[in-house]
Amino acid sequence: MTHSATTTALPEPTTTRLTAGLPAWATLGILFGVVSAASIVLWGPIGVSGTYPRFVGAVLRLVDPAYAAANPYLVKMGALFKPETFLVIGLVIGGFVAARTDKRAKAPAVERVHAMETSNAARYRDAFLGGLLIVFGARLAGGCTSGHIISGITQLSLSGIVFGAAVFASGIFTAKLIRKGA
Amino acid sequence: MAAIYALLVGVAMGALLQRVRASSPGMILANLRLENLSIIKFMATTIAVGMILVYVLDAAMPQVLHFDIKPTYLIGVALGGVIFGVGFALGGYCPGTCVVGVSEGRRDALFAILGGVLGALLFAVLYSALVDPLIKPLDLGKVRVQDFVHVPAVAVALIFGGGMLAIVRLLPTIRNTPR
Repeated sequence: MTHSATTTALPEPTTTRLTAGLPAWATLGILFGVVSAASIVLWGPIGVSGTYPRFVGAVLRLVDPAYAAANPYLVKMGALFKPETFLVIGLVIGGFVAARTDKRAKAPAVERVHAMETSNAARYRDAFLGGLLIVFGARLAGGCTSGHIISGITQLSLSGIVFGAAVFASGIFTAKLIRKGA
Repeated sequence: MAAIYALLVGVAMGALLQRVRASSPGMILANLRLENLSIIKFMATTIAVGMILVYVLDAAMPQVLHFDIKPTYLIGVALGGVIFGVGFALGGYCPGTCVVGVSEGRRDALFAILGGVLGALLFAVLYSALVDPLIKPLDLGKVRVQDFVHVPAVAVALIFGGGMLAIVRLLPTIRNTPR
């Protein structure tokens, strides 16, 4: 196997004193469940991917207002300043503070994940293409990991269950295929 | 007020995703290769806890919660999921974790965001052509599991959520890892 150690030897995060006995994924999962429920109580379910086309719409309204006003999808998604946009700003703040206060090793600037990523450029290519596909797929489906899988299934919505099953079937198949072919 | 709540929810979500290492593409690939199931178990725990909480609250105080159900147009939702899965396995990021990745200094996460912006532009350009074949057909509307079974929603949530938590507990901790 030519795979880097990072992909095979990732230990699960360890527990803290506060939550002795529970693995970190369980503690963090319970906390995220409470946060996601609180979000539905306070304003609405969490979601991220709709912010991408709203951002594109905001830019196009500056660059080419005629096109932006004529595109039915950009009109349907509406203005950038929705609660969801503030959630995305929150992600930056929360991620930054959590990383700064993290006792574990700092995240690498570039993390290669496939054997075919023999250079940083190849890694950037895969991240870029992956980013393109996840947002295109999420917009076609009407939501992503947070809007469809987390919030959708939390609300017992059928669309979240269908999307989640499709994502994991396709993601697991693709991951195994890349490993075999690479 | 909604904007402030959403900001606070985002801060908590960003911190939790960073701490559970969901923003590490290596961790995502380890999960998709089924070598380490911690992110899958984290997501399942999140969903189960959230589901039980919101439906117990909804039973106690109806009409207070801000539910927002997405429509189930089977072709677009399933095909979108398949496309998403390919991108998820290729890049190791989802639309939220790449934002968290950038905030912790990951340069490849920035490329994922740029790709995402292009993906959103591409979808907006193609939208009119995709609506009729992929979004309009087989649209079941904003349906939930409780619409198909004659059981109160809170009971469905307790059974579904409890079942998920039980499965998560039974899943192996780490597979195929050295040591």
